[in-house]
Amino acid sequence: MIEKKEGYRVRLSNFEGPLDLLLYLIKREEVDIYDIPIAEITKQYLEMIEVMRELDLEVAGEFILMAATLIQIKVRMLLPEPEDGSEDEEEDPRAELVRRLVEYKCFKEVAESMESFEVHQRRLFSRAYFEWEKQYKKTEVVLREVSMVDLMRAFKTAMENIPSVTAHEVSAIGPTIEGQIEFLMRRLTEKELTRFGELFEELKDKITIIVTFMAILELIRTHRILIQQSSIFGEIYLSAREV
Amino acid sequence: MGQMESAFMRQVVEALIFASDVPLSAEQIRQYVDGATPSQIRKAIETLNLEYTKTNRAFHVIAVAGGFQMVTRENYSQWVKKLYHRRIKARLSQAALETLAIIAYRQPVTKTDVAAIRGVNCDAVVKTLLERRLINISGRSDGPGRPLLYRTTNEFLRYFGVNALSDLPKPREIEEIMKEENHSSEDAVE
Repeated sequence: MIEKKEGYRVRLSNFEGPLDLLLYLIKREEVDIYDIPIAEITKQYLEMIEVMRELDLEVAGEFILMAATLIQIKVRMLLPEPEDGSEDEEEDPRAELVRRLVEYKCFKEVAESMESFEVHQRRLFSRAYFEWEKQYKKTEVVLREVSMVDLMRAFKTAMENIPSVTAHEVSAIGPTIEGQIEFLMRRLTEKELTRFGELFEELKDKITIIVTFMAILELIRTHRILIQQSSIFGEIYLSAREV
Repeated sequence: MGQMESAFMRQVVEALIFASDVPLSAEQIRQYVDGATPSQIRKAIETLNLEYTKTNRAFHVIAVAGGFQMVTRENYSQWVKKLYHRRIKARLSQAALETLAIIAYRQPVTKTDVAAIRGVNCDAVVKTLLERRLINISGRSDGPGRPLLYRTTNEFLRYFGVNALSDLPKPREIEEIMKEENHSSEDAVE
């Protein structure tokens, strides 16, 4: 069972949202998108959500909302058709969902074709005026990519190095991720290469260190900074990426 | 300056495209080359490309984002890639591609419109796309709260190597998807 769940983990993280997950189930079950066996698909959908929960994956609110929508449709399908209101043909309870699925599928397909355009175009290079990346030439350290494990280790060290204080200062405004992003970008543009340790030595309290670390993760994710290392287990360096 | 000899004009066009770091439109080139018509400019570029092919050049001129740009040919990418290494940005995520596809076809659109189609919040994706200059803010909608409207940029066209929005892959007609759905279930029976 665990193995089966591990298999799910990979795929679940690939779903772009509840519609994507539904399309996947419809395809897997080889059912007609215009005649979805709602009870069966709802069951499978809820199972997938359950697996996500068991794997401690954060189940976004959108997935829950879709579960509610599916259950609502299922209930409406079970209700007997009104006998007297036959002249006023009621819409299939699934119609709105089908419309959304088809519309999403349309754009998903376009996105797939666009990806092949992207792959092709990325192989073509045009002239660009760029300054040779002086920051890497100036330092003698040969830098390599940093793994998440190294980053976590550096974070742990920073946390352990906090001077133990007996009295706590209470600051009115705590640090924010946005604020620390500003701080980091300012620091990194002033100096080309900043040591991770050096940066954290200045930070006095736990919460600032945690928030700053989160800001670093955000900057890595949005490709605004580069994070490199001189050797395995070596010092970690941060630098601003040219936009 | 009078009419240029066509062979010379061709070389001037070549020099301009060679030296530019952005695609140059026929209209822009015309401003620099006295007396050249857009059709002459296009003809000149065609001839240049023929020469490049004949002499086995490692580059050629492509029509992209409404202009012309000199690019290295695909088969040299593995080497040029090394030259550019750190400047090459990461490929777009699935979420980013879907969001771009929706913006490209529905523009100008609000984040809410995009989220409604994708069924998920896309604040973070939109932010990334703005940072990469693939989209920009084109104004505000008249709807409640006057939300921001987004459009694709010229950089978007350049990134995907298309000349105009009309060159993008077209979304299939709903009827077509419907037909395919029926076919695939028939295939499954076979």
